[in-house]
Amino acid sequence: MELFNLNHVSFSFPNTDQHVLKDISLSVNEGEFLVMGGASGSGKTTLLKLLKRELTPTGKLEGEIFYKGKSISEWEERQMVKQVGYVFQDPDNQIIMDEVMQEIVFGLENLGYSTFEMRKRVAEMVHFFGVEDLLNAKPSELSGGQKQLLNLLSVLLMKPRVLLLDEPTSQLDPVAAKELVLMLERLNKETGMTIVLVEHRLEELYAVADRIVLMESGEVRYEGDSRQVIGELYADRATQFFPYLPTFARLYMEFEQKPIIAAIPLTVKECKQWIGREERETMPVEAQSNQLKEQWILEMNDVFFQYQKKAPFVLKRFTLRIPKGQFFAMVGGNGSGKTTALRASLGSIKPQRGKVRLNGQDMKKMKDSEWLGKIAYLPQNPRTYFVQQTIEEEMQNVGERLKLSNVTERMHHLLEAFGISHLRTRHPYDCSGGEVQKAALACILLGEPEMLFIDEPTKGMDPVSKQHLGELLYSLQQSGLTIFMVTHDIGFAASYAERCAMMFDGEIAADGTPDELFKGNYFYTTAINRATRETKQPEVLTYEEAVATWAVRESI
Amino acid sequence: MGNGIQAIHPFVMFFYYMCLGFFAMFFNHPIFLLAGCLALIAVNLSHDGGQAMKQWAPLMVTMTALIIVINPLINSRGMHVWFDFFGKQVTFEAMLYGVVTAMSLLMILLLFVSLNSVLNGNKLLYIFARILPRTAFLIMMSIRFVPLLKRRLTEIQDVQRLKGMTMTQGTLSERAKSGMSMLQVLLSWSLEEAVETADSMKARGYGSGTRRPYIPYRMTKSDRRWLSYLLVAFVMCGTGGFMGYGKIVIYPELGLLHLSSLDWFVFACGMAVALFPLFVEGREQLKWNYSI
Repeated sequence: MELFNLNHVSFSFPNTDQHVLKDISLSVNEGEFLVMGGASGSGKTTLLKLLKRELTPTGKLEGEIFYKGKSISEWEERQMVKQVGYVFQDPDNQIIMDEVMQEIVFGLENLGYSTFEMRKRVAEMVHFFGVEDLLNAKPSELSGGQKQLLNLLSVLLMKPRVLLLDEPTSQLDPVAAKELVLMLERLNKETGMTIVLVEHRLEELYAVADRIVLMESGEVRYEGDSRQVIGELYADRATQFFPYLPTFARLYMEFEQKPIIAAIPLTVKECKQWIGREERETMPVEAQSNQLKEQWILEMNDVFFQYQKKAPFVLKRFTLRIPKGQFFAMVGGNGSGKTTALRASLGSIKPQRGKVRLNGQDMKKMKDSEWLGKIAYLPQNPRTYFVQQTIEEEMQNVGERLKLSNVTERMHHLLEAFGISHLRTRHPYDCSGGEVQKAALACILLGEPEMLFIDEPTKGMDPVSKQHLGELLYSLQQSGLTIFMVTHDIGFAASYAERCAMMFDGEIAADGTPDELFKGNYFYTTAINRATRETKQPEVLTYEEAVATWAVRESI
Repeated sequence: MGNGIQAIHPFVMFFYYMCLGFFAMFFNHPIFLLAGCLALIAVNLSHDGGQAMKQWAPLMVTMTALIIVINPLINSRGMHVWFDFFGKQVTFEAMLYGVVTAMSLLMILLLFVSLNSVLNGNKLLYIFARILPRTAFLIMMSIRFVPLLKRRLTEIQDVQRLKGMTMTQGTLSERAKSGMSMLQVLLSWSLEEAVETADSMKARGYGSGTRRPYIPYRMTKSDRRWLSYLLVAFVMCGTGGFMGYGKIVIYPELGLLHLSSLDWFVFACGMAVALFPLFVEGREQLKWNYSI
């Protein structure tokens, strides 16, 4: 049965001629797991919001949207609220109340259910989710993954027929993201709930989805069964979509002499079967300790830190040395203390014990003004950087603060290099996430810092922008900048960083090149690494590595 | 929820604190007030071993001492003169009045310390949700924003500090200026994010009709029993109070401090109210230790 039916739908925001959605015809069937992908700004989110009547953005809508055969606007308000559930991208923003219990019953309260009915539903769903211990917690004490699970739970309590999710995993670490996807898969399989999911990280979703929809500049470009879409993409050589494909599928299509659509591997298991197993002696890795007396730019020795007197230590005997000119990445799960370590190295928090040295100088003894301009910090949310009205004013302001000469010239140069000159008169809030990030990066590089600190730069980014950012950072490193990045995106760290470290329980558990660190792990590695382990082909971490090292390369 | 006093219905507890407030402000016999203070100290001890009380102790002690000392020094009403203090007569009445006022205030402070640990956050809000549902909802939402804004502000401070904008160094006007800029960033960022919060509310049907609040607490049989117990004790104690028992005349001349048998009855009723949490806890303890 058709649940949603979009009939030649076009949409444009007020005061613009540009259509965000162009003539879209699409249907969503009952019980289907539909995954939508595409670059940022391709209209995915707008399309999803059109399906949820309460969230329909203001603008001009042409064409018609039917829900169960009746136009969406003809339905009674409360019916639509109940039947269509919506989960947002940011785990924090959608939480309204100050207590988990109050939060999950919020929707039920609004719909006027009796306390009896609320209790019944809560008891059932909370048990299904296994989150009994969270009921009396405060939302601010939960981790990102728990928050997103809570949001999903509070929507599910209204017993929706269809669940719409807008990039629900983009703010989560890989383990939490996987958990959420598994929960969705379970809901779909066990309760037959219809799910429409918009996502950037599509890798594991191809195996779960019944149907894939790929969008580009407001149009549906490809639509159909996962394997069929992959086949069509390769037949058309639609390279702009290749980064959205699972790495296994890409390798299969590239390396297989006669690829068969039905045999495209979508999971680690299928990929291993395709390459062919080969038992190989796994050698425990000996990390090459580079004890060379290099010039350390950042040194952290036996740093201990706790947020409160009686709270447990977040950093325990944390030791880290970064030589000049290195691109260093630190990975680790939520709550492993990565961000705290970064803040300690920036001097934002003062460790209880241990020393942080920057260029050989003790940070505790330095004044803020002494390191001004020498170190730069690109925060997780680059919007926090901007105080002025436009990007250009911000850069001028930075120049004044650091008393730089030839600001205008350098500014032009940087904006040109980052390809954002057209945005200079815009307000930072009017730019997309990737654009703001580039603008902030341009601002902080104005002072020619020696070292750059980055916190989770790839959060919520589509694969293409991620690639651009990686290349940009790589070229900065090549020109002599030292980079310290904190991330949970292992693929990104493996592709661009020179040295990686894994953080666990307040200290660095392992430290080495990406190859040494990630190859052979179960979870802290890329999917392609899991698939290529103990196979006839050499073990690889990234798609690029496979293309470079694998033996038989027959082009299709 | 919890055990003992934490498991009692918030409304019963709220009634208890209202009774005690009345007790503290209505009676002025020193014996009554002293007993009230001691009872509340015992109640506080039963909550958390006096942890919360310890934090307030310095304030309470100084306040009590100050009132007791200052009142007789600035007020010389009364007939029983004690001694002359730099030409001012220090009377026994003023002294006693100071003691009574101090104890009455101390009792209210102790009451709030206890209230804070028993009717924390949502329980109190739940009581007000009955009377002022919209206000209670608004307060709930605002409380939610506190940790959120705090976290965002730290984030902004981290970033801006490296740009040379800080509130810890520089002249006062510089600091104020940086502080304002940071608040401005916080405000515009939060407003932007709040749009999604509003969307989330709409998506879950806020404003689609009458709201029926979820009632997390159930009035159990024992809650009802305790409530009627408190009610009876309070009515007797209150009637006694209105008839003039438990009160003394201080100004212009000190009356009799002697307590009649009816006074003692009112006193007993008052104690029955004040010690109610101890009875609840004690009953629980007995059940734990001696039930089969």
